[in-house]
Amino acid sequence: MSYETLEVRTDAPVGWLVFDRPDAGNAIDARMFVELEAAWAGLERDPSVEAIVNTGNGHSFQTGLDVKQLATDREALRASSRRTRDFALRMTSWHCGVTKPVIAAVNGTCAGGGLHFVADADIVIAADCASFLDPHVSVGQASAFETIGLLKKVPMESVSRMALMGSHERLSAERARQIGIVSEVVDAAGLRDRARELAVIIAEQDPARLRAMKKAMWHALEAP
Amino acid sequence: MTYEHLVVERHGPVGWLINNRPDVRNAMNNAMRDEFAEAWTELDRDPAVRVIVHTGNGRDFQTGVDMGEIASDGVGMERYRRSMEDFDVHFTSWHQGVWKPVITAVNGICCGGGFHWVADSDIVIAASDAQFFDPHTSVGQVVAIEAIGLMKKMPVEAVMRMALLGKYERMGAERAYELGMISEIVDPPGRLRERAQELAETVARNSPAAMAATKKALWGALETGLTDACRQGARHLVSMWGHPDQTEGPAAFAERRDPDWQPL
Repeated sequence: MSYETLEVRTDAPVGWLVFDRPDAGNAIDARMFVELEAAWAGLERDPSVEAIVNTGNGHSFQTGLDVKQLATDREALRASSRRTRDFALRMTSWHCGVTKPVIAAVNGTCAGGGLHFVADADIVIAADCASFLDPHVSVGQASAFETIGLLKKVPMESVSRMALMGSHERLSAERARQIGIVSEVVDAAGLRDRARELAVIIAEQDPARLRAMKKAMWHALEAP
Repeated sequence: MTYEHLVVERHGPVGWLINNRPDVRNAMNNAMRDEFAEAWTELDRDPAVRVIVHTGNGRDFQTGVDMGEIASDGVGMERYRRSMEDFDVHFTSWHQGVWKPVITAVNGICCGGGFHWVADSDIVIAASDAQFFDPHTSVGQVVAIEAIGLMKKMPVEAVMRMALLGKYERMGAERAYELGMISEIVDPPGRLRERAQELAETVARNSPAAMAATKKALWGALETGLTDACRQGARHLVSMWGHPDQTEGPAAFAERRDPDWQPL
């Protein structure tokens, strides 16, 4: 498959899934919505890929649904609405049942729906210029999936604060590291190299054992 | 309604609920407990109030139950025991189903039962001289509800350590910040209320209906596992579809003006 909105590469043992709509803050339009599912499936299938790095081109990591574009595409809007209502999204590695380890490398602004990819990754690192915010309530929308995912993994107060402050406050990369949303903050220029380094270390492990571990740990989040 | 043990004020879109038994470090007697139930509901129902701030008068935020008074006022102890056994309690915003954003501003000491309001609010800030500890086990009591609430929201070891060390160790604001129990330290401490008002006014710029739906999704998520929580969260997301705020938000953004939200 050829991609228009993503850059998908194999760089054995690492697979890269790079958001590639830099002029639109890498927001998810109708096309990316479809391509994400295909890209995760392709990397999951590719036998030369042992770990996946997810990052973005340009200044932003990911800024959520491109509501303006989706509004012009009735069919896509209907499909995304249905998948939201039924919680049948196919955007992140977790939604798509990816069993390989996934590292999110947050290269810049991560806003709203972009938090999905942070909440649903196994390891998250960030560039020093990265920032996190959830503008939903500032534009009259509720925040649920991505903040629910986060609050299962990090101290809740920081998540409820982010959700209620909306577009009026950003969490810095350093504060995100302190509260455990990310585990490492690196110089922006070195982000991809560092992500690759981590992926290579992980790829040295036995893949079957990694898969079993990942499954067990995510399953633990399903207990009340 | 007039209150004897609380002060309820309104400043712009912000409702204030202030613990007001400073001579006993804002410990809660039966009358105060009843007033809490009333005050949360009053502020929640007031359409002019969009965000609620909770803090304490005097040197301390809150120091739990006034055991001396509850034990000596005749009916108090029995009623208190029964309400706890049945978990039929009404003194925090969570107990009362308040879906407006609640900011706790911790001044001075927050200990024992004081943690109820830290655990049950959405945003917690503290003065730089705030101190946290849980003396229950040091006076022969069990801590459960407030520590359970905290455990669901922050690293468990820190909560267990506080529960087990009782009155013999205090946690400072700095450590509470590191752990993500609070998100901001206000220094000097005298600026706490000013900062809480500022923060609340910022939150009040967001859609009241969207914030209520978000709170329901997030607090609901503490009751269940990840996938279930997302399925239930979807109901709250969808509840905003067709709401006037969903068109008002983007319209105001495009026109570079403040949104005119529907009151809750």
